[in-house]
Amino acid sequence: MLGENDGPSMLSYAATGAKFGIGFFIPFILLTFLMAIVVQEMTVRLGAATHRGHAELIFERFGPFWGWFSMIDLGIGNFLTLITEFIAIRAGLSFFGVPPWLAMLGTLVLLYTALMSHRYWTWERLTMAIAAFNLIFIPVALMAHPHWDAVGKALLVWKPLPGGLTKDTLLIVLADIGATVTPWMIFFQQSATVDKGLTRPDIPFGRIDTIIGGVLAAAAAIAVLLATAPLFALHMTAANYQAAEFAQALEPVIGHAGAALFALGIVEAGIVAAVTISTSSAYAFGEVAGLPHSLNIPFKEGKSFYGVLFACAAVVAGIVLIPSLPLVYVVLVVNVIAVLAMPPALVFLFMLVNDREIMGDLVSPLWANILAGIIVLLLTAAGILFGISVIAPNIFAALSGR
Amino acid sequence: MTGKEHEHQHEFSIEQTILVLSALERDQLTGGKKQRLPRRHLKGLEVIILWSLRVYLLFMMAVVVYQIWSGAR
Repeated sequence: MLGENDGPSMLSYAATGAKFGIGFFIPFILLTFLMAIVVQEMTVRLGAATHRGHAELIFERFGPFWGWFSMIDLGIGNFLTLITEFIAIRAGLSFFGVPPWLAMLGTLVLLYTALMSHRYWTWERLTMAIAAFNLIFIPVALMAHPHWDAVGKALLVWKPLPGGLTKDTLLIVLADIGATVTPWMIFFQQSATVDKGLTRPDIPFGRIDTIIGGVLAAAAAIAVLLATAPLFALHMTAANYQAAEFAQALEPVIGHAGAALFALGIVEAGIVAAVTISTSSAYAFGEVAGLPHSLNIPFKEGKSFYGVLFACAAVVAGIVLIPSLPLVYVVLVVNVIAVLAMPPALVFLFMLVNDREIMGDLVSPLWANILAGIIVLLLTAAGILFGISVIAPNIFAALSGR
Repeated sequence: MTGKEHEHQHEFSIEQTILVLSALERDQLTGGKKQRLPRRHLKGLEVIILWSLRVYLLFMMAVVVYQIWSGAR
């Protein structure tokens, strides 16, 4: 779950804090993590019950027609998201004066090191060790001296969306949802559950794992919001922040050490997700192509698995070296695409997890189905509202008489 | 060797049992995966929902492209 706090997610939260403050968004971000926990619990149950990754399960159960549709969604989504992860790494390291080419090369070397252990167990520990660094945003938030009474009020009284429903606010709302609830996490979590060898007795531990991860990830996400909220309070312009400029803009507020930690946190978030998203693509490719796909197999046996993984990362690293990419805008748009692709992915998950023929008595209980149904409706409604705001930008202002 | 001693010789400790099960688990899972799951035949409503979401996604992608294009102008 900490992998969900990826580079674009942290940049979305940073843009949110700087542009809109905390009033509406602290409870909102907590809600998005609740959604993520509900969805991830379903994938753990599905993986442990069927011992199949998500892609191969869709292919086997619904046939190649629907299988290819979801693979295309995943492939495009993963590729775009991977670009934003490398953007985050490049931008974060630029705070320390690291040239882009060196940042990309270093990331590829780290990715190689994480994978060459050829053991899921080692890979998971190594990735978790890096992911724990995500909590670095908590001391950064404390350095920003948040107003705790305002934080308490934000939690108790859910303030309305600042500025009302506009194209900009909806873009941020969708980007924050997409920061937490994404199609790749469904595919990755289920494949990882299978690769880890979880079975029915392990499901309670998988649930605890998911909840702890969700709580820690939510804490880190809110910490980013709190860290960048002073930019909003000080009315500093946040319109054209590039990824690294958040750290630079925060320097007068939290000092050089705080800003450096912030930039390091962005780099870490990008690295963890670059590893997990590349792995998610490789798992899905192996599952669909019927080729070996496991972090437990040596390179010789899993050439296609590791090949896809490295090829994706290398191509993306090359793209990110293109100068003058509008980094934050790309990040927000990619997060929005993740939200828009989520309802179809969730409906497949919903159908599979309620399929008694493959799940037996592990089918979702009624309360989980109601929650999943609400999540699908919320995500679809948010997408439709965003669509309306783009096509008819003034409609919400007209409807509210402004 | 008495019958009881012979029986005792074949008892395994919990650690040994866990070790054996964990060693076998991977093969059991692999074996389980070799059995293909039967194809599920989608009902009318399910097909309508899946196609509606497909149209929704394509339409929204066009909206995102329009958003990028209008932003770039």
